[in-house]
Amino acid sequence: MNQKLAAPKRLLSQNQAALILLTPFLATYALFLVYPFFRGFWISLHDWNLLAVAFNPDAKEFIGFENYRKVMWGKNIGWSIFANPIMQVLGLIGVALSVYLYRTRRLSRATAIAIGIGSVLLILLPGFHPGEGGRWYDRRFWPTVGNTLLFVGLAVPGVTVTALVLAAALNRETRAMGVLRTLFFLSQVLSVTVVTLIWQIMFSPRQGLIANVTELFGGSPIVWLTDERFAMAAIVITTIWWSLGIAMILFLAGLQDISRDLYEAGALDNATGTKAFWFITLPNLKRTITLVIVLQIILHFQVFGQSHLMTNGGPNDTTQVLVRYIYQTGFRDSELGRASAMAVFLFLIMGAFSILQFVLGREDD
Amino acid sequence: MLNRSYYWLILAISIPAFIWLVPTIWMVSLSFQPNEVLARTTSTTALGLIPYPFTAQNYADLFSFGHTPLWFLNSVLVAVGMTLGVLLVSTTAGYALARLEFPSKTLVTIVCLIGLMVPEQAVFIPLYTMFADFGWHNSYHALILPRVAVPIGVFLMYQFFKAIPKDIEEAARLDGVGWLQIFWFVMLPLARPAMMTLAILTFLYAWNDYLWPLVSAQKREYFTITLGLASIQSNFAQSEGLGRVMASGVIASLPVVILFLIFQRYVVQAMTVGGTKG
Amino acid sequence: MKRMIICAALAASIAFPVAAQEVSLGRFFGACEDAGSDTKASVGEACIIQSIINAASEQIDSVTINTLPTDWGNYYDQIKAAYAGGTPPDVHVMHRHRIPEFAGLGAVANLSDDLSAAGIDTGDWAPAALDAVSFKGGVYGVPMDFHANLWHVNMDLMQAAGLVADGNPILPSSPQELLEHAKKVKEATGQDYLAADFAQFPIGVRLTLALMWQQGANIFTDDGTATINNAEAKNAVTAITQLFDVELANPKLNYADSQQAFLNGEAAILVNGTWVVDFYAAEAAKSEVALNNYYVADFPTLFSEGATWADSHMWAIPASLKANEPEKYQAALKVLAFINDHNIDWARTGHMAVRNSVLNSDDYKNLPHRAEYAGTADIAKDTPPSERYGAIQDVLNRELQAIWLTGKDVDTALADAEAEVQDLLDR
Repeated sequence: MNQKLAAPKRLLSQNQAALILLTPFLATYALFLVYPFFRGFWISLHDWNLLAVAFNPDAKEFIGFENYRKVMWGKNIGWSIFANPIMQVLGLIGVALSVYLYRTRRLSRATAIAIGIGSVLLILLPGFHPGEGGRWYDRRFWPTVGNTLLFVGLAVPGVTVTALVLAAALNRETRAMGVLRTLFFLSQVLSVTVVTLIWQIMFSPRQGLIANVTELFGGSPIVWLTDERFAMAAIVITTIWWSLGIAMILFLAGLQDISRDLYEAGALDNATGTKAFWFITLPNLKRTITLVIVLQIILHFQVFGQSHLMTNGGPNDTTQVLVRYIYQTGFRDSELGRASAMAVFLFLIMGAFSILQFVLGREDD
Repeated sequence: MLNRSYYWLILAISIPAFIWLVPTIWMVSLSFQPNEVLARTTSTTALGLIPYPFTAQNYADLFSFGHTPLWFLNSVLVAVGMTLGVLLVSTTAGYALARLEFPSKTLVTIVCLIGLMVPEQAVFIPLYTMFADFGWHNSYHALILPRVAVPIGVFLMYQFFKAIPKDIEEAARLDGVGWLQIFWFVMLPLARPAMMTLAILTFLYAWNDYLWPLVSAQKREYFTITLGLASIQSNFAQSEGLGRVMASGVIASLPVVILFLIFQRYVVQAMTVGGTKG
Repeated sequence: MKRMIICAALAASIAFPVAAQEVSLGRFFGACEDAGSDTKASVGEACIIQSIINAASEQIDSVTINTLPTDWGNYYDQIKAAYAGGTPPDVHVMHRHRIPEFAGLGAVANLSDDLSAAGIDTGDWAPAALDAVSFKGGVYGVPMDFHANLWHVNMDLMQAAGLVADGNPILPSSPQELLEHAKKVKEATGQDYLAADFAQFPIGVRLTLALMWQQGANIFTDDGTATINNAEAKNAVTAITQLFDVELANPKLNYADSQQAFLNGEAAILVNGTWVVDFYAAEAAKSEVALNNYYVADFPTLFSEGATWADSHMWAIPASLKANEPEKYQAALKVLAFINDHNIDWARTGHMAVRNSVLNSDDYKNLPHRAEYAGTADIAKDTPPSERYGAIQDVLNRELQAIWLTGKDVDTALADAEAEVQDLLDR
């Protein structure tokens, strides 16, 4: 091949070469990502039944933003500051905290803005509620979003804290440490179906290892997956077990970047062990921690398999999550228009976090 | 450095590490126990963590009449196909964006990378209808193609090529070597570690993907092992038997675990790069 | 080997276009990989249906059958996805309740004119069976069974509680009696009276529906008005929750767990379908299984009239196959005829047969436990037809689970269920 191409006198210009090299990517990219993205938005503007349209392409009807209204809005929806006091007060605290921390220079501007926006949303969104005689058109959508947020809210700190502690403990280049790191990382490479398979049986009140251990100590086993109080915890535990690896590796990489001198200097001031962790490791790892958190948020917001395979979204929808609801609306209820509207909603949230991640990644560089 | 507190630390972490490993050990152990026993109890010996009574029958069954071998093969095909595809489009585009000058390059770069924002779950429905229109479902290309054009791959290669010193290719240019030849004979060999990283990342992703195969493949011949496993674990009748389901789980995991143990260095690198820069 | 046969069949079909047809078949019932083709020997739904399919593949000239995935969880999602993708299986099983949706959209073929030519005598079907596969005057499928909720009984536990007379279990005739019986069983044996899957599949929903029907009520009217938030529904729900309240039944068991509890002798009654009769009979015969003395009973009448939830399995052919591939359509009809001919074998599962000739045969009447639930056919019932059957069941399942798993207030749950079902009916 080189003989043939190198021989001609006139070589390809840079433009031509670039065109040739970019074509494979641009073609597949346009066809399988860009076009579907816009088509998804287009579908979301239609009353589009999966089967009906398949048999008769004209069976769809353009209805503008009606799907969005039907999914996200309701009859007689009002807003008040007392609709959900806990969330809204949390939001207020968040706003105050971000302003204070930014003023005292403990937070960078981007982080402060991010937390601020999040807190404002926390004040605004839970404030909406159906008024007298009113109701949501889709009673499941916001609770589903809430469940997804709860899942993210439990899984992300769970993964982050566990991974951070492990990384700090395992941050030494010895053979034993390497083996231990491998052990903790191993579950990360398993597929979601294997992970849920294992944990489904682990949690079973009848055949489960956890139940067997409980009974050994004379306790009565918890019915994890069908008890409202434990179902979400069960899929969070599963998720932490599964996805600890990436976070741990990222923290280890971050720890390598912290200069040994800092610890040696700290040791002179009697800062070792836990103290060193609080006063040297944590502050220097701030950027990595933020990145890990944002990355995990993006990853876990798209949770599907754990909920779909372990609990079927139950009991009573307490583990129903957004992607599963999209899948159900689209393929069980055949309502592609509504499902696509939800997918656009998902994209907007994910997009916001991607921008945040990008900004944070740029910062301090 | 290696003082007494170090050994205490090792011991202290070994306990959680063992607990961490218990679910996996349990799966392997269950897969070696007879189904009739498991139907009654899963904790015969040492809470079931030791496979006694022992049998290899589950594996024998799996390979004599299960679909597991076929699904396994499908997964290999899909994962390898996707990996090659991603390598092809990512190295070429990454190189072009990082090293070549052409009109509206900034714009093209932004267009290529903005796709990083679109999660796959946001486009699986339109992709589904599109593939349905083409009549492409239930095929290997339907499983492979949608995941070939991943902006993260381009981004990784772009970052890598950007970091290579200019003089390497300038020397070649002076000798009158064309851009494509430079890409093929100079840049690609240099990029081998980065490609390795990207390849492993893609392979793991392809092996474990669930949502897209779930909507695209309805025929068992085109199930990947991940999907096939989901289909047998949700069985109402549970006629498969716990031991055999667990054996399928072990078979499904073996390649990725082995791959991971061999290429651990690259995987770790992949995660680090993909995580901090993506 | 099977693959080789299929490959050979494929190769043959390329060489001689009319010689062989490969018919793809979609079904649920679960997987049975080593079913063989002896339709008389297999046990359990999955293996019996697969043995019939295998036999059809072997015995019908120039037709081979390729069975598609068999899991329950995503069956209808997958079938719809396959239809929408233009690649539906050539024949597939479905429930009677799905007819409005699939026939209404024109997805499944109207078979009315082709059945007798294929050797299927619709006149032999029980009237209810013909009704089950009919939609707007056309026949859209071949019925395979009626299945219904039964009470599976552990006679040893009942005996211990003094609830057996003349070899028959004494079953409650009112909600009060239900509670009394439950207490007796608990006192005498320490075990739960009743178990069922209240936490996963909609078996608890079917139980509640039966108790509503027994009071002459239904969840929505034929003209599409939801009627769930009423006294009848509340009676039905509280008849069940009274057992949970005093811990005489456990609502947290899922399908597999409730079944295991019954087989382990931890519950006197299991509410489950006809599909497990032969399986439980086989299990009860094993010495290592705690359940020894197994009996099957009709769903008892706790209110004024008898009723139990029932549905039908039926086989359909895509409309596109009939329109575009006449030869394969004929092959698919042959498969349906074969299944129709083996109605007696399918009935071995415990399901009720659909053909009069089978229903009246001695073979059928002599099936194990068959006489014990002979009354079920007369009390079989289901909700009015709706395109949104699946989604409606899902709403009920969620709200009922909310009541017994998460302690949601009954009135609120029923009001919520009514509002949401109304939304679905209005869509």
